[in-house]
Amino acid sequence: MTDTILEVTDLGKFFGGLRALSGVCFTVWRGEIFGIIGPNGAGKTTLFNCLSGALKPSTGRIGLDGRRIDGLHPHDICRLGLARTFQIVRPFQGMTVLGNVMVAAYGRHPATADAEHHAHEALRSIGMAHLAHLDAERLSVAEMRRLEIARAIATEPRLLLLDEMLAGLTATEAAALCDQIVALNGRGITIVMVEHSVPVISRMCARSIVLNFGTLLAEGTTQDVLRDPRVQEAYLGSAA
Amino acid sequence: MNRFLPAIVPSLLAAAIFAVCLGDPYFMEIFIHTALMGTISVAWNLMAGFTGLISLGHSLFFGIGAYVVAYGHIGFGLPPLVTWPLAVVLAAVMALAIGLLCFRYGLRGYFFAIATLAFSEVAFLLVSATPWLGRSDGMMMPSEDETLLYLQFLEKWPYGLMVLGFLAITLFVGQHLVSSRTGFYWRALRDNEGAAEALGVPAMRYKLIAFVVSAVLTSVGGAFFASTFAFVDPRSTLGVDLSIQLLVFSIIGGLGLLWGPLLGAALLIPLGELLRTAMGVGFNGVNIVVYAVLLMTLALLLPQGLGGWLKTRFPAMPRLGGKPIRQGDAVQ
Ligand SMILES: Nc1ncnc2c1ncn2[C@@H]1O[C@H](COP(=O)(O)OP(=O)(O)OP(=O)(O)O)[C@@H](O)[C@H]1O
Ligand SMILES: [Mg+2]
Repeated sequence: MTDTILEVTDLGKFFGGLRALSGVCFTVWRGEIFGIIGPNGAGKTTLFNCLSGALKPSTGRIGLDGRRIDGLHPHDICRLGLARTFQIVRPFQGMTVLGNVMVAAYGRHPATADAEHHAHEALRSIGMAHLAHLDAERLSVAEMRRLEIARAIATEPRLLLLDEMLAGLTATEAAALCDQIVALNGRGITIVMVEHSVPVISRMCARSIVLNFGTLLAEGTTQDVLRDPRVQEAYLGSAA
Repeated sequence: MNRFLPAIVPSLLAAAIFAVCLGDPYFMEIFIHTALMGTISVAWNLMAGFTGLISLGHSLFFGIGAYVVAYGHIGFGLPPLVTWPLAVVLAAVMALAIGLLCFRYGLRGYFFAIATLAFSEVAFLLVSATPWLGRSDGMMMPSEDETLLYLQFLEKWPYGLMVLGFLAITLFVGQHLVSSRTGFYWRALRDNEGAAEALGVPAMRYKLIAFVVSAVLTSVGGAFFASTFAFVDPRSTLGVDLSIQLLVFSIIGGLGLLWGPLLGAALLIPLGELLRTAMGVGFNGVNIVVYAVLLMTLALLLPQGLGGWLKTRFPAMPRLGGKPIRQGDAVQ
């Protein structure tokens, strides 16, 4: 018995003549870690932008827990339980690490003391508690990535979209982050992750989709998807 | 630590300076001017330094305050008790309308600055051409018998006391907002609007709050101006010079620090006054050149403003007043 948390139907996004996404359909099940792979420019970030409301889709519909969310404001979508991180990190530079996370926590905890408490929790769960009072601009790349995640989980999401969190990290840093992602999933947060590394996706995600030039190449179990000849040709072939 | 320390300390300092100036009407006049400009610069900075919205049209709200009080008195004999609240409501509605228009079309940075400038210039030109508002000559408010009701005092110090209250209230309101959810949302919007929205910040609503709060406080300043000087004219209440002064005091004092603009005003206004009197009549204009050179030197030496410099020199100073930001960082 599977239960759908995210349902994407015929999603399209056009920038002038460029079809960044077209006819994309897939379903994410509650509780899973779902993978999205595809070459550079395939439309993965554009997909996240549409899901989170940063961009208005040109066609199609997006359902979160059976509720239609396409066309809503990003802050409303966040409130409904969908959070995302940014591939290019976007810390609030003029604030501390704790302040950054408090902004996210305030959404469900309007009182400052509560927000601070929950922000601390979020930082602790991602192993950043000791950095709470540092200025956000002084973090390393790996720490900025974790700050992105800390902020996202401080919004208390049911569904978390992670956009290339592992790119540019050392093997140790990446392994630690993967463990933390699994731990978050263990706490009941459904995760959709975009990643270039095929080994990481095949290890972490039972099911995946592959995007290429804005269209869906394959959907299914990660094993099957990676074996698909079209995927081999379009993605693995060119990457190898 | 009391979270209102960044409001309490500057208020007490200002009260001490007020007490010192009690003995001399000339000093009291400078105190009044400095405290008034400093306070509305604090209001301006809530928008610019904290929310990243640079307004070059704040004289519009000052002018609304001044003209509602002056015309209410001259035209209908209305006392400040009636006209001050009226001015505040009108300023709030105006800020809401302009804000809705600007934010709806995603104006920010320089474009927002120019849009606000345009609105205030239109008001300046309209008032300058309107006979019943005294055109560019301005209007004098008549003396009344009920002096207290009309806030007409022979001496200067009651006005000094009023502006001291205005300063303290502005700082407390400002500190309350800045250290609560509103302030966190403002700074998030200033630093990265896209990320803030993704984390659940309703951008439109919080930018409007910043605009309306700032405009309302500025209109109180304008109302105070009219009641104090019993005279209004477009140049001194609606002109772009006024808006620019708010920017200069804030940058020199410290953008993004609640009390920074007070420092800027407290340094620059007495300095300008000193240069003006020291240079005398024969050197008219030289004082402005000297002032300009000093201003440039300060801006170059202290990129985070006087307040920012103080904070880096003395890191133990209360952190809650905000974090100083560098010139230019506020404009995305
Ligand atoms: N705001 C935009 N305006 C115009 N074109 C855009 C915009 N955003 C993305 N694109 C284009 O859409 C296509 C898909 O971009 P997208 O960033 O979604 O790819 P991606 O799969 O995330 O790539 P990468 O792996 O490099 O992150 C690209 O051709 C890109 O240039
Ligand atoms: Mg991308």
